[in-house]
Amino acid sequence: MANQYRLENIFWALGTVAFIAITSYLIGLVAKFLVKLRGFSETEQRKAFWGALFAGPWISGFFIFVAGPTLVSLYYSFTDYKLGKPIEWIGLENYRVLLKGEGTYGGRFKGAMFNSFYYAAIGVPLQIVTSLGMAMLLNREVKGIRLFRTIFYLPVILAGGPAVLLAWRYMFATNGGFVNVSLQRFADSFFLFDYIYRSVVYVIESLNGFYIGMAVRDDPIGPLKYTFPALLGLFLIGPLAFGEWEESKRNRARRIIEILGAVLVGVLFSKGLAANPINPVWTYAFGLAGVGIMLLNARAEKWSAIRTTQIIALVLIAASLVMTLEAANFDPTKGDTPKYLIALIVAALPLIVPFFGKWTTFTTKLMLAAAGILGVIIFVLLIPGQLDGGRLELIFRYLTFQSAIEQPNNMEYLEEVFPFETISTMWFYGSIIVVAAIAALLHERYPKQRRVFLYAAFIFFALIALNSFLDTRRYFQDFADIAKANGKPNYHFARFHEFADEYPENRRVPFWLTNDIWSKPSLVLITMWSSGAGMLIFLAALKGVPRSLYEAAEVDGASGVQKFFKITLPMISPALFYNIVIGVIASLQTFEMVFIIRTTETESSLMSAAFFLYQRTFQQLEIGQGSAASWILVVIIVGLTAMQFRFSKWVHYEA
Amino acid sequence: MKRKSYLFLTLAVILVLSAVAIPASAKETAAPAQPAVAAQDAETLEIYITGLTEDTQTWFRETVFPAFEADHPGVKLEILTGGWGTFDTDVAGWITTGEGPDIVYLGSEYAATYGDLLADMDPYLADWEDLANFLPAALETATYDGHLRGLPLLMSPRPIFYRTDLFANPDAALPATFEESLAFVQENTVVGDAGVEKQGFMDIGGGLFDAQEFIGYIWSAGGELYNEDGTSAFDSEATAEALQFMYDRRRAVLPTEDTPGLPPIEGTPLASGVVVSGIFPMWNVPPTSDPIWENVAIGPYPAGANGEQLIQVFIDWLSVPEYVENKELAGEFLKFIGSKEYAIELNTVAGFTPVRTDAWDDIRANDPVWDQLLGLAEEYGRGFSDIRASAELRPLIVEQVTLFLTDQQSLEDTQAALKEAYDSILEANGYLD
Repeated sequence: MANQYRLENIFWALGTVAFIAITSYLIGLVAKFLVKLRGFSETEQRKAFWGALFAGPWISGFFIFVAGPTLVSLYYSFTDYKLGKPIEWIGLENYRVLLKGEGTYGGRFKGAMFNSFYYAAIGVPLQIVTSLGMAMLLNREVKGIRLFRTIFYLPVILAGGPAVLLAWRYMFATNGGFVNVSLQRFADSFFLFDYIYRSVVYVIESLNGFYIGMAVRDDPIGPLKYTFPALLGLFLIGPLAFGEWEESKRNRARRIIEILGAVLVGVLFSKGLAANPINPVWTYAFGLAGVGIMLLNARAEKWSAIRTTQIIALVLIAASLVMTLEAANFDPTKGDTPKYLIALIVAALPLIVPFFGKWTTFTTKLMLAAAGILGVIIFVLLIPGQLDGGRLELIFRYLTFQSAIEQPNNMEYLEEVFPFETISTMWFYGSIIVVAAIAALLHERYPKQRRVFLYAAFIFFALIALNSFLDTRRYFQDFADIAKANGKPNYHFARFHEFADEYPENRRVPFWLTNDIWSKPSLVLITMWSSGAGMLIFLAALKGVPRSLYEAAEVDGASGVQKFFKITLPMISPALFYNIVIGVIASLQTFEMVFIIRTTETESSLMSAAFFLYQRTFQQLEIGQGSAASWILVVIIVGLTAMQFRFSKWVHYEA
Repeated sequence: MKRKSYLFLTLAVILVLSAVAIPASAKETAAPAQPAVAAQDAETLEIYITGLTEDTQTWFRETVFPAFEADHPGVKLEILTGGWGTFDTDVAGWITTGEGPDIVYLGSEYAATYGDLLADMDPYLADWEDLANFLPAALETATYDGHLRGLPLLMSPRPIFYRTDLFANPDAALPATFEESLAFVQENTVVGDAGVEKQGFMDIGGGLFDAQEFIGYIWSAGGELYNEDGTSAFDSEATAEALQFMYDRRRAVLPTEDTPGLPPIEGTPLASGVVVSGIFPMWNVPPTSDPIWENVAIGPYPAGANGEQLIQVFIDWLSVPEYVENKELAGEFLKFIGSKEYAIELNTVAGFTPVRTDAWDDIRANDPVWDQLLGLAEEYGRGFSDIRASAELRPLIVEQVTLFLTDQQSLEDTQAALKEAYDSILEANGYLD
């Protein structure tokens, strides 16, 4: 018996070797053929053959173990596949459920994505600051500096280990843990520290309580949903409206259009995906976005960017075409399908035009006409729905300091009617794009009009932000009043109220890993502790900054802060960019730490997107939905990374 | 040119070798027409048991296997073991893809998870007279759809342990109802300036809520997880009573959510001197020879208004997947390892608590703690079984009940959310028609 196994092992080993050898040989032949096709010499062909032959084992391994499973998982993402049960093709259903946050798992995925973004948005900047700070400390010539560097790097090796995380559990123990005991001692000794410390606790608890209500509990936020885009408008339009107008401001306006446009298209596309079948309005919308981006790039004479936009937009439209047909079981005459197909064709046509011939003034005019037509179509399709029930009245009310809440004593109205039967926030984001576009178009030719227009836009966003915020206070108070009148607890943003309604008492301690309020900050703190990898990269970059630059600055009388911002930061910007990109990717993939430090009470608040897909795929064996979740995560990571590269002009690769 | 010829030659040799090799291996495995002895040569039974120590594996290899192989000439046994970290994925991979060991070790709630992917072993086990000696709760665990899918191997009763020497009222009786339990926890909890100083109750996870314990309280409140039509019964009065009990007990320990809990405990909670009662696995309590047991009382879960006290009994069992060809042989091995003799030996070698009541005599005679535990398991034991879609149920309970216990969701909303989500899970998993 044992001999048989041994023989089988030998045969399999030989078979594998034979397979690798043959595959590598074939890969070599293909490489040779391709080189021959391109007209290279016999020597070059031979080089290509041997090069590919030796890379063959890796290439075949890549196709079998990476590309193959990747494609299979893409296929599974369109199926209802639970391990042990037959595979059933369900098209976009998994994506629809996850993107719309439908049902138990859609909701859980949404919460997990919010948690992952928290790790990225809060964790990465803090990690960058910590690692840069450590690197600057360790970039000094003092005795024993190597030992210090080793000590600071040690957490990188230790951080993910269960033993160290267990140690953190002890250190973070609410009652009697090292961290809390130390904080209390300091608070007892220095009254100022006590005040600052409790204020920090108050802010963190209130913000996290609010985040839980919004992201995990999905409580309605009411008018606050208008405050966010209005504040974004203020933040983006403000710098354009005030101060001297320069060419850089026009570029900034373009960047606003590009970033917001890309995000909007992404959101619209995913919303379009989530609709079943895809809503034609979204198809027209990303056709318009594509045309708009092409026009802007044509103005800036960025011809390769036009081609990229064209290809991306057409791929999206092709994907929509497949999905639309799939929703109709590939019967183009079924139901409303012709309407959707017409939308796809109309949106795709202007995008195809620049493939033919050079971009001329005529192309620009054609594109402007296409944008106009698409805009009118969207307007006609969208406006009637938005005007239903006087939705646009909300804007008027906020501009005239009135409340938009009509039935403050009606819980059903507050929960079900108000947030949904009001104007879509997409209009506000769209308005920011339009304002930026008009400002860029008016530019220096119409300075007065530009200034007046930007001031008006600024005031518009300021009034919306202020009044929607005031209305939010009323909205939250209405829930509290109704609960009080009924003698019941107020569960609307319960965690927020619990911590925000009262300033922490003396000797109040953070709850760290034991509750949902502190679990995410704890995880961020632990990752900050292990920022050594980033530190090492910063340290190498700091070593590369020429001393002469500092000396020259010193001669000019530059201060330490000036030297840091004018010399150090620009010079280490490639390292900074690298750390940001890697940090964002790593934080969106947070898994091990969540797996180890979660408890029953913190599982939901810590659950990351990677943990969700692990749970869904490997614990619950829902391969289909797990695969869809992983592909959504892939698209988000690739999108964010691409955006970071696109807007990396601040990175200087040469002194 | 010469180099190319060498390359071709080498490839040809490899090809010839593999061409000869692969059919040879195929001949080796597919030999149904060989004489009987050769056929028996191919009869290998692979047994997978999680988390076995080196000593226990040796015991299997050197004691159990030779004895079974002697009784079954031509049969070869092999033992496989693995860590708990990969248990779920390993087992799911084998059972669902139909390729893996012949006997697979499973935890308490897995009969409903894998259902008909596990073989109906009634034809090979139902007539075995020794079955009468198995704890009914244990057999229940290994049963799906009325048919045995394997045989229980070991059990872990999960009662409540009480430190009588820490009682605020030394004469207090062990609580038997939810109401008494609440009063007990309240009486025995001390909250100081820095937080909890003495905790009246602690659950198995070291906190104040555990999903399995919640199911236990639904049962002890007289409820079930499922209605007769198979839908979830989370909207029942028993569920409401269990939830309310767990909430009130939490408040008895933590008056508000911003009350710090106990300081970190070194060693076992039972021996800490600050935990008065709790549910702990036997690996997280002091050895039964420790003098502390003189001050420890053991009791079942308290009961709700319409329920009865119970103890959850967790059973680890050996299942036979449907893909196994020789189920009869697998059944033979189950009977062999499930015999009284080996049940007692497994207790000595691996510390496995037997599921056969006739194997308890020695244990009960020699160990008063186990005597009490096994007696209670016999009287109050209910197997943690028939938990449908358990991998999806646990996170659901954790998610929803945590919201209720931390004042973020009302009791009604919690029940409604549990019911709605679990019904859709049951439907998606084919449990509902």
